[in-house]
Amino acid sequence: MGRIKNFFATLKRYPTSIVSLVIITVLVVISAATLISIPYGEARELWKTSSQAWEDWPKYAAPAWTNLFRSAENKLPETIIVETNGVEPILVEPVGNSGAARTTIELPFDYPYNIHPSEIGLTFETVSGEQPIATVTWITPDGREFEIYDSVLKKRRHAVSKDRALTRMLGAQPIYGLFADPEDPVEILKPGTEATPFQGTYTLRVEALNFTEESKVDVKLVVYGRVAGLAGTDHYRRNLLVGLLWGTPVALMFGILAAVGSTTLTFLIAAVGVWFGGWVDALIQRIVEVNSMLPVLPILIMLGIFYTPSIMLTLGAVILLNIFSLAVKTNRAIFLQVKNSPYIEAARAYGASGTRIVFRYMIPKVAPILIPAFVTLTPGYVFLEAALAFLGVGDISLPTWGKILNNAQTEGALLRGQFYWVLEPAFMLLLTTLAFAMLGFALDRIFNPRLRGI
Amino acid sequence: MEPREITVDKTMSAETTPGGSEGSLVPNKKRGQRALRSLKRFGRYTAVRIITLFCTVVVGIYLAILVANMGGFVDKILEGQIIEQVGGEIMANDQLRQLSFEERESWRDARVATLMAMRGLDRPFIIRSFEHLKNAITLNLGRATFIASDSGSKEVKRIILERLPITMVLFTTGSVVVFIIALFGALVLSRRYGSAVDRIVVALAPTSTAPAWFYGLFLILIFAFIFKVLPSGGMLGNSIPETPLAYALTVMKHMILPLAAWVISRVFLAIYTWRTFFLIHSSEDYVELAKAKGLRNRALERRYILRPTLPAVITAFTFILITSWQGAIVTETVFKWPGLGQLYFRAVGAFDTPVIVGTIVIFAYLLAITVFCLDIVYALIDPRVKLGKEGSQ
Amino acid sequence: MAEKLLEVRDLVLYFRTSKGVVQAVDHVDLNMDRDDALAVIGESGCGKTSFIRAILRLLPRNVHTYSGSVVLLDSDIMKLSDERFRTQVRWQQMSMVAQAAMNALNPVLKVGDQVSEPLIVHRGIPKKQALAQAAEVFRLVGVPAEFLDRYSFELSGGMRQRAILAMSLITQPNLVILDEPTSALDMLTQANIMNVLKSIKRDLQQSFIFITHDVSTTSELADRGVVMYAGHIVEISNAEQFFLNPFHPYSQKLMASVPTLKEKKELEFIPGTPPSLINPPTGCRFAARCHRRFEACDQEPPMFSLEDGRQVKCWLYK
Repeated sequence: MGRIKNFFATLKRYPTSIVSLVIITVLVVISAATLISIPYGEARELWKTSSQAWEDWPKYAAPAWTNLFRSAENKLPETIIVETNGVEPILVEPVGNSGAARTTIELPFDYPYNIHPSEIGLTFETVSGEQPIATVTWITPDGREFEIYDSVLKKRRHAVSKDRALTRMLGAQPIYGLFADPEDPVEILKPGTEATPFQGTYTLRVEALNFTEESKVDVKLVVYGRVAGLAGTDHYRRNLLVGLLWGTPVALMFGILAAVGSTTLTFLIAAVGVWFGGWVDALIQRIVEVNSMLPVLPILIMLGIFYTPSIMLTLGAVILLNIFSLAVKTNRAIFLQVKNSPYIEAARAYGASGTRIVFRYMIPKVAPILIPAFVTLTPGYVFLEAALAFLGVGDISLPTWGKILNNAQTEGALLRGQFYWVLEPAFMLLLTTLAFAMLGFALDRIFNPRLRGI
Repeated sequence: MEPREITVDKTMSAETTPGGSEGSLVPNKKRGQRALRSLKRFGRYTAVRIITLFCTVVVGIYLAILVANMGGFVDKILEGQIIEQVGGEIMANDQLRQLSFEERESWRDARVATLMAMRGLDRPFIIRSFEHLKNAITLNLGRATFIASDSGSKEVKRIILERLPITMVLFTTGSVVVFIIALFGALVLSRRYGSAVDRIVVALAPTSTAPAWFYGLFLILIFAFIFKVLPSGGMLGNSIPETPLAYALTVMKHMILPLAAWVISRVFLAIYTWRTFFLIHSSEDYVELAKAKGLRNRALERRYILRPTLPAVITAFTFILITSWQGAIVTETVFKWPGLGQLYFRAVGAFDTPVIVGTIVIFAYLLAITVFCLDIVYALIDPRVKLGKEGSQ
Repeated sequence: MAEKLLEVRDLVLYFRTSKGVVQAVDHVDLNMDRDDALAVIGESGCGKTSFIRAILRLLPRNVHTYSGSVVLLDSDIMKLSDERFRTQVRWQQMSMVAQAAMNALNPVLKVGDQVSEPLIVHRGIPKKQALAQAAEVFRLVGVPAEFLDRYSFELSGGMRQRAILAMSLITQPNLVILDEPTSALDMLTQANIMNVLKSIKRDLQQSFIFITHDVSTTSELADRGVVMYAGHIVEISNAEQFFLNPFHPYSQKLMASVPTLKEKKELEFIPGTPPSLINPPTGCRFAARCHRRFEACDQEPPMFSLEDGRQVKCWLYK
């Protein structure tokens, strides 16, 4: 207990290490919280490109808080959703005798923004029974009406903003046309103009003709904004926050396991070589030399693309490629020095068994060197995993920071000015690795005797 | 206490080399003999190193071949592609479509067999692997399966040689720049231990955990998209420059960001490592004695710090160089730098085994040559290696 | 001709460590004449190495206090700037022979280059001439001249020590300081080096200060002896009287622990360990282990001057 207290007292002399510990603790807490609230299976489901979870989220949306930095005229719109579920119809007219009825529901909403929405969409949820016929009308604040849907419900979702017929009728893309200012129609209807949307209260009128009494349909209008969530969205509408959060345990786990695993195994291999000597030692030396000729990243890329291994398999391959690294030689030199030192000789002289010598004398002497190595090597492996994901190699369905960067790169995020897409995962990477690196440096100064006083 | 005078000068002569004479400086004949001995020793050392390195290269390349072929799996993929291709041929050919089912089958089998023989897939993998090995070692790298060079050639050697200098120009320059800055900076810092500059550099050392491609993302963001002063990638821009001078300038302009990313990601750790190394080294007895002798700082650094640590310094430089090539792939991808790294990545994506193996072979040879040069330089500058432990001890 | 060579007054050297401030050299005074060979005797950790480092201005990075005056011939070298100290004092007026010369020679430079280096650096003598002078000094210390052309690993331990010795003599400095010149060597080589030092002292009239913890070997060489204990000098006297009749209780115990050739003697030892220099005790620092302590010893005694130039820091000699 005293030694641990001593250790923390020494650590306090390096203020950066305290900051690092705080950061790492926060990251661990985030990882745990994320793993609990979004378990692995759920995360994969959420991240699937075919997932329905994000259908109401806009694409390429910036984080919502970025609006704080924009002036009033330039604020990006948020997503507006109105739906018929739970709203009392203003009119119910029975039609015929078989229980059919025409239901009319009106859904008002405000559009106070100076910038047009990114998309407009309708979602139909048929609760039961036959497919009804629905007529959806768009009513501008000044009373103009546009029929945006009128037919039997065939598909679940209707992309209003991509409706070609509607575009022809409006003379412009719906995101502009439906929000056109009546005073200035000609100018506004030219696509891509600097028009501002006509502000005010819009109304959506939904008239559904249900054929049976039980059949019911819920209509949802989504006017997609351009900001969403804490972290923005990507090209599949996914909330980047999920990726950022989930990337945390993946990065930590990969980095730490790889660092600890490879360092410990290298250590053991060097120890085995030194202890048995002879051909075992020579063989290990040869393997190390061959391994140093093999380029790690290119081989991992090959393995990743040929086999598309899961992340655990990748971890295994990374460890395997790194345990015969040149670190074996360094460890071996230390072991040799210890093995030939006088106090080991003395122990042998008083009859200590091999096991006792190894576990009570050699390992405690050399083990402290491992501890800074665990911490110092972790960031490198975190970046390795990120690099592989960035290249699109390996487990591509897992939401990790590198994968987000990969998406950003392929979608040309920087070209489109979607800097947040790159900056957010980069920031997480930087934070994590800097924390470990700073801590590792401090630990190195503490544990490495040659660095004392420097 | 009576003083004891023991004259042991006679025994002293046992410690001199045989035939040593007292009082006069070494005659030339002696010098010549010693030089010859050291040359022979040097030659032996070199030969041993070449053989060892070569064996390592061979084993390494063989493993790469095995992995690149996934023990024959890639062959299966290629086989599958051939079968598909033949199927397409049959579909497209009216005459063939009109044949009976059996005739079509036999034609298909024959065609598949021919194509497979062309690609060499008819023999078992293990046997072919040794043939691959022999070819690889002799740099007979064959023809690419899918990729072609800019000039249209499918010879793997030509494809690789086209890309190799592009990678080398970027990463070798980067390594040299880092090396020079780090060495100079480390010497300066080791004289100013504890100063503000020293503490800043030490605090910045952890920034080197981030690899070059990471800094590259930020640099591209800032300089290519926010400030729009530098290109965001590629090597030549949109138009091919006319004159060699314009060519050189364009390349240099495109090299600024990748080079900066590379240097930033390495330099602080390098300065820190060598500064610490020089500081530890300064506590050596002979360095302290040199200080006591009143040598000027410059001379002290040159003769007592740099000269003895030269082997370590050169090893470190070689290490920088080698790791730079390894990290090339991602960096080149981020900057769209048309080098060997990007080529490799494309080759893996296309399952183009000859190119994959070819790249790894070139890399292995480069590595071996670098290590060999390092060993030679080591031997030349460290008198302990050059002379062996000749002489009295 | 007893001309004053060195006058040290109130020399202080404290080090900063993680456990506190080590008061290695604690207000030390010393006088030394020309042609003297002064032996500084004391056990490990008493501050003798720090003492000569303070004189030579070879300071580590964690110095806490460094003050006092060191007058070499006529000038106070403590007042010189680092650069002037380097050009005027280092190796010109004072040189040093390091402890354990095993590692004191640069392994990648030829021995001759290193030995002749001070001449080239300080006197501007061209290389060929400097090497010739190096050969001369080598002859003096008994090393064959061909070793100028060798590297340090080609020399035996004894050879290296002689080479280092030659290096310290080549500029004919006023003072050569040797830190335990023979402790790392076997007995035969020790005797050899001692002979060399004696002949140099005799033939060149070279002044020495040498540190040792081995009393017996210095008895042949020293003119005067200085005993240090826990950062203080506790006794100064001329050699003969010191070895025959030490005054300070610590010196007496030291002498009693050294075997002699002729007499039959029961060897004694001093119980306990020296005090820590981080929080040195008030009062006489040897009191805790002294077999003759009394009440006055709770106060730190001053240095008492006795006949024949002897000085003792002990209340017994008030």
